[in-house]
Amino acid sequence: MSRRSDEPAHGPIHLFLVAFTFLAVYPVLWVLTIAFSGKQSLALADLPENPGASDLLRAVTPWPERWSLQNFTAVFTDQPFLAWMGNSAAISVATTVLGVFLAMTAAYAFSRFRFPGQKAGMMSFLVSQMFPGTLMLIPLYIIVVQWLGLGSTRTGLVLVYATTSVPFSVWMLKGYFDTIPRELEEAAFIEGASVGTVFWRIIIPLAKPALAITALFSFMSAWNEFILAATLMDKEDMYTAPVGLKFFVGGFSQQWGYFAAGSIIVSVPVVLLFYFLQKYLVSGLTAGGVKG
Amino acid sequence: MKPSRPALTLLAALALAGPAQAAELTVWHAYRAEEKAAFEKACAQYAAGKPGTTVTTLAVPYDAFADKITAAVPRGKGPDVFIFGQDRLGGWIEAGNTVEPLDFFLDEGVKGRFIPTTLQAMTYRGTVYGLPFNYKEITLIYNKKLVSAPPKTTGELVALAKKLTDKKAGRFGLAYAYSDYYYHAALQNAFGGRVFDEGKPVLNAPENVKALDLLLKWIDAGIVPAEPSTALITSLFNEGKAAMVFNGPWFLGEIAKEVDYGLARLPTVDEAGGKPMRPWMTVEGLYVTAPSKNKEAAYDLVKYLTDVPAATVMALEGRQTPSNKKAYDDPRVAGDRVLSAFRAQAETALPMPNLPEMSMVWSPATTVMNTVTRKAATPQGALDKAQAQVVKEVAGLRKRP
Amino acid sequence: MAGRPSHRLRFGVGLALAAGLGVGVSYLLLAAERRQAAAAGEERRAVVATQALAELVERAGRRGEPARRAVGAWQAGHDRVRVARVVALEGISLEASTAPEDQGDKAAPRRLARDEKALYDQGQRLRAAVAANKEGGAPKAEIEAQPLTGGALRLATPVLEEGAVTGMVQIESTPSEPAPRPPLFPAILAFLGPLVLFGLVSAVLGQRRLPLAFAAAACLALGVGAYALHSLAAVSSGRALAQQALAQSVQAEAGAVRAALSAVGLHEAPPLRPGTWDADAYRRPRGLLGPDGKVDEAAGASEAAAARGQAERALWGVAILAMALLLLVGLGGFQKLAATLVANRQAYFYVIPAMVGMLVLVFFPFIYGIALSFTDSNLYTINQPLTDTWIGLRNYGDILGDFGVARRAADGSLIFNYLNFYWTLAVTVLWTVSNVTIGVSVGLLLALILNTPGLAARPLYRVLLILPWAVPNYITALIWKGMFHRQFGVVNHVLRLLGSQGISWFDTPATSFLTALATNGWLSFSFMMVVSLGGLQSIPAELYEAARVDGASRWQRFKAITLPSLKPALVPAVILSVVWTFNMFNVIYLVTAGEPGNSTEILITQAYKFAFERYRYGYAAAYSTIIFGILLAYSAIQNKLSRATEAA
Repeated sequence: MSRRSDEPAHGPIHLFLVAFTFLAVYPVLWVLTIAFSGKQSLALADLPENPGASDLLRAVTPWPERWSLQNFTAVFTDQPFLAWMGNSAAISVATTVLGVFLAMTAAYAFSRFRFPGQKAGMMSFLVSQMFPGTLMLIPLYIIVVQWLGLGSTRTGLVLVYATTSVPFSVWMLKGYFDTIPRELEEAAFIEGASVGTVFWRIIIPLAKPALAITALFSFMSAWNEFILAATLMDKEDMYTAPVGLKFFVGGFSQQWGYFAAGSIIVSVPVVLLFYFLQKYLVSGLTAGGVKG
Repeated sequence: MKPSRPALTLLAALALAGPAQAAELTVWHAYRAEEKAAFEKACAQYAAGKPGTTVTTLAVPYDAFADKITAAVPRGKGPDVFIFGQDRLGGWIEAGNTVEPLDFFLDEGVKGRFIPTTLQAMTYRGTVYGLPFNYKEITLIYNKKLVSAPPKTTGELVALAKKLTDKKAGRFGLAYAYSDYYYHAALQNAFGGRVFDEGKPVLNAPENVKALDLLLKWIDAGIVPAEPSTALITSLFNEGKAAMVFNGPWFLGEIAKEVDYGLARLPTVDEAGGKPMRPWMTVEGLYVTAPSKNKEAAYDLVKYLTDVPAATVMALEGRQTPSNKKAYDDPRVAGDRVLSAFRAQAETALPMPNLPEMSMVWSPATTVMNTVTRKAATPQGALDKAQAQVVKEVAGLRKRP
Repeated sequence: MAGRPSHRLRFGVGLALAAGLGVGVSYLLLAAERRQAAAAGEERRAVVATQALAELVERAGRRGEPARRAVGAWQAGHDRVRVARVVALEGISLEASTAPEDQGDKAAPRRLARDEKALYDQGQRLRAAVAANKEGGAPKAEIEAQPLTGGALRLATPVLEEGAVTGMVQIESTPSEPAPRPPLFPAILAFLGPLVLFGLVSAVLGQRRLPLAFAAAACLALGVGAYALHSLAAVSSGRALAQQALAQSVQAEAGAVRAALSAVGLHEAPPLRPGTWDADAYRRPRGLLGPDGKVDEAAGASEAAAARGQAERALWGVAILAMALLLLVGLGGFQKLAATLVANRQAYFYVIPAMVGMLVLVFFPFIYGIALSFTDSNLYTINQPLTDTWIGLRNYGDILGDFGVARRAADGSLIFNYLNFYWTLAVTVLWTVSNVTIGVSVGLLLALILNTPGLAARPLYRVLLILPWAVPNYITALIWKGMFHRQFGVVNHVLRLLGSQGISWFDTPATSFLTALATNGWLSFSFMMVVSLGGLQSIPAELYEAARVDGASRWQRFKAITLPSLKPALVPAVILSVVWTFNMFNVIYLVTAGEPGNSTEILITQAYKFAFERYRYGYAAAYSTIIFGILLAYSAIQNKLSRATEAA
């Protein structure tokens, strides 16, 4: 694509982006430094007395004094971390599928039908996010474990995670569905298509960018959650990765090196997922699709 | 089999072996690494000696542990036994249906096996609710290169620290997290200070004021660093810039390999009439849960885990300091300088209060420590303010009908 | 609309349903009140017996043979008490028992058996309760009552020696007769009467809607009202009878104790005070009876009035409900509702799966939380039913009515009370506004830049820029906290490189707030960037093309095309991130922890501290409900505003 005359020059943009990205990544670099240091301390840098500029410069540089993979190997050998990653993956994928499915059907109805209770319904999704969760652990435990009998099961966890991600997803998808022109569906209805067909064949393919975001969001809300997973699961082999991570930093002794290494490991799948989903966030895709 | 005759009951209570019925016991704990391995080993040893009995353990991350207990146990979904510090004990007893009182099972033989203060930590309003498993407290840890003989009194401590302090070079004779109320309590308790008196808060007791006055003297003498965060103390000690620290067993893992350190009892306080510094002791207890269906078997397990064989495993392999006095008769435990140093310190340590109201003390007390050490308030003024706040909050909780 | 049923029929059906509901529920309430009054009377009688027994045991020496004989003699005079036991805490022994299973080789005195542990634990509990109440701790029951099968009760009360509890007595009452059900006839009359009356009146009125409505309402009021008056009269007379019965049983009890005392050769000195045996759970006399055991007229009247008042309130509630049902059915609301459900079944079909999940997992806890906020529930009372700790709006009054945000110190400077609700609210609002502004503007800016056509290395930037969102925030929040450390913090290192002194970030409210703001801004911009990127994809390129042809500048295009097109995606994201940031617990908790002196606390962390440090669950729930109310008001206003801009 050739650059048009009134588009800004790319040089300054790159300069800005590089600088900003560096700032944004800087704390993560410290996580990496701690992870690769082979040590367990969270303290960032030591300084000699009366530090010179070079000492200060060294102190602000996230670079381990000595590189070591020991923290990473320890994460895997100290606990069945790989199996817990597997649990996390299964639960997060199921949450994503269920959460996105629930959200897209609801969002479609909110976007395309006019029915009594529509406003109230949309509001209730929003309202559900407003009540602070600090006091909610016990009632939630009662529902999931005592009423539904889903204590220590993956199903219970998936249900809870999916419902926590649904409100945002519904609002996000409804907003996006609203931007899809109705002419396309009306044409299909005239040709005799059912609501279901229109939904799956026309709306869903067009809403890929929003679906990508909601999928990522649903995945994340399950992937990093810790307290519910630790509370609801009563078997060690059913724990998720965040639960495993928290073992390193509770109570009196804290293994920050292990925790940092584990955090890096846990972040990799999210980054990969985003890497694959981002093609749906690339300019021009839907613009052509809508017309085509 | 159920012993029914009184004579039989007495026999069963006194006998070493408990009831021989089969049971499936579950234990929750928050251990990992070598502590976990040692604990699982001790449980397996117990199960091996009891045909038909199985012991399943579940490790729960510490950050979720208390919430999980609170959610699961009163609803009958919890374990038969769990392990936790005494700080939450009062709260769980008051909330009810969580921990089972054990006095009924306790006989003099079992009571006598513990360091008395550890059993005291498990006692709430005159009733014993758990068997003490292990304890932690701070002690004096020093760099052997800099300190040849650890000080016995605060007079010696200050003199030695002054000699070793070189502020320009960033060297300090003494470093500890004195602005953390938990660490400061060792000094406060030496004066006979306290937080609660017969269940009522007394944060501004005159003894507590005296302890702060002494701390201010140390700060003014310049023998301790400013803003003593735990990270600062660790790095100072590891770089040989702090000759002595007051710290607990959790600190030992952070000491660099090249530092040769020694342990000694905290000094006696000249200003308090030669009374010893008395650090707060946190005691982990083994609790039988109230809804457990196997309480007697659970108590039997708990009794075994606090007995000498299990305590020795926990000490040598789990690196814990067991509450069982006899465990220190084992030459391998007695010969371990770390374990024996903390055992010696336990003689003067005081159990941290297990009243639920203790959780209301930390935040005002932290404000006291921060403002006083920064000279933003006088000890008396700051303590009076904190006392007023704690009194108000305690009254808010204990409303009369 | 064709085929609509007549007004007469609709009001008739409505009246039948409403009268059925009103009278039916009133009947059930009356039955429940009778059961409850009977059970309460039973328990009070049993308390009297227990207290009397405790006094007898104390006078007879608490343990040993005289006490045992006294208990035996006392039991002989009680046919409504099945078992009486005396436990001594010292030595864990059963001192006396009249239970059939405790005879022969299990006869007292003996050590308690293993399966009798509960007995000893109960004694210990009562000992602790008496001690705690004396100390001024949270009030604890000194008389424990436990229901057994068939309406029988097991009661326990402490036995004292010089103010200290050394033992306990426990009794088990025999199963009581169930309270007779209220007669059905008045209820049937109150149900059918209005129907017949309405039938007659409506024959006169024909199909005129308004008169029919009035007639139906009047008939309903007549039926339900008459039955309510009948119920109230029954409640009052029941109470008076119960009080007399109680006084009688106290007299009988005094006789039994005297007899037992003389049976073991003891004299009644000092004289018994049977009136004090009618005690509440804290062993304080209830005051209904004088010391001699006669009913105190004033106390009796006020007790009866309280019971009547409670019944009155419940009946009013029922009447209002019945009236609402009548109007709903009569005016055709019901029919419309059904028609709507059918007409929009497809839409509901799509919405229901998500709704059900939300209802079960979100709204139940939420309703529980709101109910909790009207109680004084705390660590000590958490096991009582919410109705027992109900205090209405007092928590809200305490929170919202305290305006002591700041006061003047002696030197004239302002001292803020950081624990005050309004201070925390101000911090929270500032926190939310600044965070969302930073998050949205940075995220949107990045998305726009990354959307530049033909820009190289875009996937790389994008992936790197979502790292703040991808890495678990527990560790990155603590890294940020470390970066602001005064001595080791990277931020201060940079400041020193630039020649300035380091700052003690966590020592003043403003700088401490900044650290949390920086952390949360960093954590939240990635998400906004991703949302904006998605939103940008819904804008057809043709729109820009057309605008370009029209000669619109880049700023004009941004204002006229980009922003409006982003709105559907961005508005929900903004609203939700306001909600999330308002309740962002982790960052404040991990980074500033409220330092210095709770000044950087936000409402949610404050609520957390009320629940888990001060154990005041009801108060914390009220805090949470207020948070909820504020957010609800915000979203309503936001809704109005966005509709207004749409209209413009």
